[in-house]
Amino acid sequence: MPVPVGHFLAVAAILFTLGVFGIFLNRKNIIVILMSIELILLAVNINLIGFSAHLGDLAGQLFAMFVLTVAAAEAAIGLAIVVVVFRARGSIEVADINIMKG
Amino acid sequence: MSQSYLLVALPELFLLAAGLVLLVVGAFKETAAGARLVSNLALGTLAITLVLVLVAAPDRAVAFRGNFVMDGFAGFMKVVVLLGALGTLAIAQPYLRREGIERFEYAVLVIFSTAGMSLLLSANSFLALYISLELMSLPLYVLAAFQRDTYKSTEAGLKYFVLGALASGMLLYGVSLVYGFTGTIFFEELTALYLDEEGAELPLGALVGVVFIAAGLAFKLGAVPFHMWTPDVYEGAPTAVTALFAAAPKLAAMGLTVRVFAEPFGAFVADWQQIIIAVSVGSMVLGAFGAIGQRNIKRLLAYSGIGHVGYALVGLAAGTQSGVYGVLVYMTIYLFMTVGTFGVVLALRRRGQSLEQIDDFAGLGKDQPLLALATAIFMFSLAGIPPLAGFFGKLYVFLAAIEVGLVWLAVIGVLTSVVGAYYYLRIVKLVYFDSAPEALDRGMEPELRGVIAVSAVVTALFVVVPGPILGSARVAAGALFP
Amino acid sequence: MLEDYLPILIFLALAIGLAVVIMLATLVVARQNPDSDKLSAYECGFEAFEDTRRKFDVRFYLVAILFIIFDLEVAFLFPWAVALGDIGLAGFWSMMLFLGILTVGFIYEWKKGALEWE
Repeated sequence: MPVPVGHFLAVAAILFTLGVFGIFLNRKNIIVILMSIELILLAVNINLIGFSAHLGDLAGQLFAMFVLTVAAAEAAIGLAIVVVVFRARGSIEVADINIMKG
Repeated sequence: MSQSYLLVALPELFLLAAGLVLLVVGAFKETAAGARLVSNLALGTLAITLVLVLVAAPDRAVAFRGNFVMDGFAGFMKVVVLLGALGTLAIAQPYLRREGIERFEYAVLVIFSTAGMSLLLSANSFLALYISLELMSLPLYVLAAFQRDTYKSTEAGLKYFVLGALASGMLLYGVSLVYGFTGTIFFEELTALYLDEEGAELPLGALVGVVFIAAGLAFKLGAVPFHMWTPDVYEGAPTAVTALFAAAPKLAAMGLTVRVFAEPFGAFVADWQQIIIAVSVGSMVLGAFGAIGQRNIKRLLAYSGIGHVGYALVGLAAGTQSGVYGVLVYMTIYLFMTVGTFGVVLALRRRGQSLEQIDDFAGLGKDQPLLALATAIFMFSLAGIPPLAGFFGKLYVFLAAIEVGLVWLAVIGVLTSVVGAYYYLRIVKLVYFDSAPEALDRGMEPELRGVIAVSAVVTALFVVVPGPILGSARVAAGALFP
Repeated sequence: MLEDYLPILIFLALAIGLAVVIMLATLVVARQNPDSDKLSAYECGFEAFEDTRRKFDVRFYLVAILFIIFDLEVAFLFPWAVALGDIGLAGFWSMMLFLGILTVGFIYEWKKGALEWE
C-alpha cells in the first residue's frame, strides 16, 4: 500500500515552515540557524522524492542527490563563516551580530 | 555529438578549468607576488572567456540533454556579466593591496562565481538553475567575509550566507512544487506543455511554486520585499567585493529572472505579472526613500541598486519583447554606471585611508577635477538626467510599460526618479560646492583610472553612439521571443 | 499488511541477538583488567560526562568542514558504481573528472595546512 503523495507534501510543508521559523524566531545560536537551513533543504528533498515516486519520473530523485551534495557544500561554508565570526568576535550568539543596523 | 556539447559550453568549461588551475598555482606560490600573478592570470582568463563568448555561434544550441542552452540572450548577458566581473576584479587589485588582504583566493573565488553566473544565464532546466545559482552564491558568501579579521566583514558574510541560503531554500521549494504539479524540470518541456492549449491554466500547486521561485529570485536581485540584506552586506563587505555584488550577480540574476518568466512561464504572463509589478513598485519606492537618510556611500548605493532593479523590472512587468529589450539596455547601462561609481569610491582616499562617508566627497572638485567630473557624470546618469546613458535606460523600460497600458507604473517610476535625483545631486553638490578641512589624496592606480575612464566615457557618450548596445540588445531580446 | 514488517522484526532480533552475544563473549573470553580510563565511556576528544553547553575547540569544526565535503560527494559514487555497466566509457570518465576536481580541492587544503592539527 503506497503512501499517498499528499502525506509527503504535508510532512515537507511542516518541515519547511519549521525551518523558516527556526531562522526568524531563533534568538540564541547561529549553529541553530545552520540546522534550520538544513531542515529547509530536507523538506525540499522529501517533496522531490515524493513527487518522483508519484510521477514515476527519475528527475526528482536525481535532483535530490544534487540538493544533498550542494547542501553539504553550503553547510561547510556556513560553518567556515561561523568559525571566522567566532574568531573575530569571540561569540556566536545571534544577539551579538548587530554592528550594522539593518 | 558529445564533441559539439563541449563546444557549446566552451566558455564555461574554460573558465572552470582555469579556475582549478589557478587554485593549484596559488596554493603552491603563496606570496604577495603569487597573489598578484594569480590575479593577473584571472583577468586574462576572464578576457579570453569574453572573447570565446563573442566568437561563439549566435544560433540557439542546446547541450547536456536539455540542461544548457546557448542563445542570443544568454550570449548578450554573458558579455555584460563578464565585463562586470572583469572591471570589478581589476579595480579590486589595488584596494586589496592597500587593505593588506591581498590573497590569491580572491581572484579564484571571483572566477568560480563568474562561471556560476555564466552557467546561470544558460540554465535551461531547474536543476541547472539551482546548481549554477549555488555555484554563483557560495563563493560570494566567502568573498563577503573576505576581510576575516574585522567584525563588519564577517558579519556581512554571515548575514549574506544565512539569508542567501534561505532564499535558495525557498526557490528550491518552489521548484519542487512546479516539478510535482507539471511533471518536468526542463524549461523547454514546460514551454511545450502549454503551447497548444488556448487559455491554459497553471495548476494551483505549480502557481504556488512560481510564487516561491519569484521570492527566491527577488532575493538574489535584492528587490523588495527581500532586500533587507543589501544595505548591511554592502556596507560590511570590503568595498571591492561590494562593487562585484552590485555589478555581476545582480545582472546574472536579472538575466535568469527574465528567462524563467519569459520562457517556461511565458504563457502565464497574467499570473506572474502582478508579482513583478508589486516587486517593482516596492523596489522603486524603497530605493528612492530609503537612501535619503544614509550617511555611508555604500549603504546609499545599496538602496540605489534596489531602486534600479525596480526600474528594470518595469520592463519585465510589461511581459513583451520590447519590455525585455528595455531590461537588457537598462542593465547594461546600469553596469557601467555602477562599476564607475564604485571605482570613484575606491579612489576616494585621505592620507592613504579609504573613505566611506558621503560627506567625504566634499572638496573633490578642487582636489581632483577629473575624478570629480567622472563622479558628476555617474551621479547625473544614475539620477536619469538626459543626455546621459541612465536616462535612456529608464526611457526604454517606461516606453515598454506604456505600450501595454501600464501607464501608472511608468508614472510611479518617473516620480521615484525625481525623489532619487535628490540624493544623487546632493553628492554632486558636495563635490563641487563644499570644501573639506583636509585635501584628498591625489593620484590613483592605473587599473582604477582605466576602469573609471571607460565607464565614464560609455556613460557620457552613449547618446552619441547608442548603436552597439541597442542593436545587440534588440537581437538578444528577440532570441527569447521567437 | 502486518507481514510486510516481518523483515524489520528479523533485523531487530538479529541486532539484539548479536549485541547480546558480543557482550557475553567479551565477559567470557577477554581478560578483565579494568582501570578508570578503560571504564569511562569513549567520546573522541572530550570528557564524556560534563555540561553539554560547554564551548569546545574550534578545530573540531574545521575537521567537520573538511569531512562533510568529501563525505557527501561519495553519495555520487554509489549510484555510479551500480550503473557503471550501463553508462559506458563516458560515464566512467565523467566520474574520473569529478574525482579529479575533488583532488584539486584536496591538494589546496593540504598545501594550506588545513590538515595539520597543531
